[in-house]
Amino acid sequence: MLLTEADLKAILEAALAEGGDFAEIFLERRRTTSISCEDNKIERVISGLDQGAGIRVIAGENTAYGYSNDLSRESLIQTATLVGKALQSRPQPREISFKRPQAQVEFTIKKRPDQVPVAEKVALVQRANEAARAVDKRITQVTVGYGDVIQEVTIANSDGILVDDERVRCRFVVNAVATDGKVIQTGFESAGGHQGWELFESVNPEEKARQAARRAVMMLEARPAPAGKMPVVMAGEAGGTMIHEACGHGLEADLVQKQLSVYAGKKGQKVASDLITVIDDPTIPGKYGSYRFDDEGTPGQKTVLIENGILKDYMYDYLTARKENRRSTGNGRRESYQDRPIPRMTNTFIAPGKDDPEAILRETKYGLLVKRMGGGQVNTTNGDFVFDVAEGYLIQDGKIGPAVRGATLTGNGPEVLKIIDRVGSDLGFSLGTCGKDGQGVPVGDAQPTIRIPEMVVGGILDEEDKG
Amino acid sequence: MDYQALQKQYLDLAARVVEMAAGKGAIAEAYISAGENLSIEVRNQEVEALTTARDQGLGLRVIAGQRVGFAFTTDFSPPALELCVEQALANARMATPDEHNCLPARYPGYPQLDLFDPEITTTPVEKKIELVREIERQARAYDPRVKITESCSYNDSRYLVVLVNSQGITAAYHAAYCGASTFVVAVENEESQTGFGLAYGLQYKNIDPAKIGREGAARAVRMLGARRVNTQRAAVVFDPYVATNFLGVIAPALAADAVQKGKSLFRGRVGQQVAAPVVNIIDDGRRPDGIASSPFDGEGVPTEHTVLVEKGVLKCYLHNTYTAARDGVKSTGNGARGSFKTTPEVGTTNFYIEAGSHTPEEIIKEIPKGLYVTEVMGMHTANPISGDFSVGASGLWIEKGELTRPVRGVAIAGNIISLLEGIDAVGNDLTFFGATGAPTVRIASMTISG
Repeated sequence: MLLTEADLKAILEAALAEGGDFAEIFLERRRTTSISCEDNKIERVISGLDQGAGIRVIAGENTAYGYSNDLSRESLIQTATLVGKALQSRPQPREISFKRPQAQVEFTIKKRPDQVPVAEKVALVQRANEAARAVDKRITQVTVGYGDVIQEVTIANSDGILVDDERVRCRFVVNAVATDGKVIQTGFESAGGHQGWELFESVNPEEKARQAARRAVMMLEARPAPAGKMPVVMAGEAGGTMIHEACGHGLEADLVQKQLSVYAGKKGQKVASDLITVIDDPTIPGKYGSYRFDDEGTPGQKTVLIENGILKDYMYDYLTARKENRRSTGNGRRESYQDRPIPRMTNTFIAPGKDDPEAILRETKYGLLVKRMGGGQVNTTNGDFVFDVAEGYLIQDGKIGPAVRGATLTGNGPEVLKIIDRVGSDLGFSLGTCGKDGQGVPVGDAQPTIRIPEMVVGGILDEEDKG
Repeated sequence: MDYQALQKQYLDLAARVVEMAAGKGAIAEAYISAGENLSIEVRNQEVEALTTARDQGLGLRVIAGQRVGFAFTTDFSPPALELCVEQALANARMATPDEHNCLPARYPGYPQLDLFDPEITTTPVEKKIELVREIERQARAYDPRVKITESCSYNDSRYLVVLVNSQGITAAYHAAYCGASTFVVAVENEESQTGFGLAYGLQYKNIDPAKIGREGAARAVRMLGARRVNTQRAAVVFDPYVATNFLGVIAPALAADAVQKGKSLFRGRVGQQVAAPVVNIIDDGRRPDGIASSPFDGEGVPTEHTVLVEKGVLKCYLHNTYTAARDGVKSTGNGARGSFKTTPEVGTTNFYIEAGSHTPEEIIKEIPKGLYVTEVMGMHTANPISGDFSVGASGLWIEKGELTRPVRGVAIAGNIISLLEGIDAVGNDLTFFGATGAPTVRIASMTISG
């Protein structure tokens, strides 16, 4: 715990002394290690300590927020007083007594990353570098990155919630560059989770590195993607970017309440094909978006967002839940003590269906097979989204055809969800850093193999090849 | 905060940390940033959120035996600083030696820049709140269909940068910037469309709420009724905002670091035509009112005005001290730090396409059919190494030189190099969005997928 209970109480009382009906303090101590290898050299080994506190006071619909790196009791009381004053509302002094909520899950970290010598981390990065370079002579550059974070938080609020938590995450990324004459292509792989060094018991860094290198080499020979509308099959291993963009963001309660989502006012209505069930769940052990408590001290919990095509619920934080006089779904997250919490996704996925993934491909005459998705973006107001295809193939008569590169898929969330006609029995996870309102948080996404009868592929018309 | 006192205090602190590391046989550099931030968010004329903050941090870079180590901390207590020094030295022992690792020596002087507008700090918060409210009022007044405010905000930051190294550099500067932005939604029947307006700079008086609000409203309203167009090839015009999005993909490829590592699409192209002759691309770390302007970069090297592409010909790359040593040239003052938490990598400052001579109207008037692109989606998925991009696009359809109807849900794809080569007109309306700026540009022909 980063401060005593008496200190926390004094700070919250100072925050409410000038006004406001809710006060909260979020204390954070974040220790990080990052290592990067490029050009066959260990170029960067960085250790860091970033600590600070964010104090939030709410009066009705108005929020005041302040943060500082100074964690002394006096400085925090001073910040709390300033934040409370900013609201200009009537003071409502009250008695605060703390209780510690129970988490729904416990995560065990088998080997904390600060117990692993830096030399061992460096050696792992070097092995991955060598593995990627050994794949093909045309691999001309490899970047391997490793990072770990130990984030200790203390969250206390005037409703009496008090939570101490420690989040431990490790991440590993490989980016390989393949060059052949004038053509240059890249391949990317990553792994990570709310895990310690045991991440590398289930993830083989050399194998990940080889996969990235093979993809870069394969892309050298890929042809430009076609342009226009066509059926799209997304393999389970492709990752979950599509569901994250096509509906995840639009189900965040802040966007819904501000009428900035195409899913606003649709609770209980049919918004997707019967085959579609969408879940957000931070309680899955070890995933990148997992946690015991969110950044407001609410226990992380599984939320069914869409069930057999019917919109069941949105993702709420404290403030959006309060506006509807309901409970938070434990989705209040923030990048750091410098940010106000907002509703965010955790691990979001389409639940597996009944179809045999191979049959889905076999029964698709032509179209695009997406084997790996890259990043994406959505305009929640009109539902339009895009995502990048990192590895894609033409489908020819139910079989995998030639590889294509440079494709982006464009669609409209509600339209795409309604027309999905096949859902496989598999499930593949991917991880990433999701950005919203300038805040990045770790998330996991997943989906089974699915088929979308028609999407716009943003490729190139043939005439461009000629000149 | 008393910035003069703080500057003296932090110069002393940085010097002490450098001495501690130097005492253990390393050459060293301490970088400190500290500042105050304000942000105001308004919705429906109410202050939805007000954030005030102070922060500080120190990043320490050491070089021992040609190996670089780095550590940072926000805790300036003596034990925390000692731990930071120990970690940086320990990290260096893990790194690969490289003869080009070095720190710059003292410079005779730095450019005198006006980076601190006192009005940013003397203007009371109430007046700034009123400015944000005015943005929202202007947006709503523009058209009755502007019904929802997604965000309407102002923020400013006043900060101090201190840099000390063991090679004789002791430098500091004090600066402030401010800006405001709005995202509003126009609603008609079942349809909603978003538009934005923004302005950022070093001068408070240049933040014009009416312009920001009306721009946001105009961008939203004109998209109502947008539909797809069929897949085809046609002329494409990027408005300045979209053009800056593409510049963001080009920026990393102009860094010498990417070139040296074979990761740049501009590798081996100096002296060659890489863009149409109408294109000039510049990085200017001293630009007046430039939000990224500073007297020196993240390692104490004076900033410069660097012409990267002149009449379509690639002239040079951007350098920090390391990449310059490796190529045997001078640093261009582009040792950029994201924050005190990162080592100085090669990065842009105020980065822009120079204005041309045509008005945007003239550029559009010559087009029989084409797409005027005002928004792109998924730009971060473009590949700065291969130059391949495929992004979602929306905007206005051009027919016989006139903007006719709104278009959305289409994609445009290609390669950055062929895009640069395909530019056949550059507008006179250079506009900055933060530190990146561009005028309207026209590309003769591109694939539009719909």
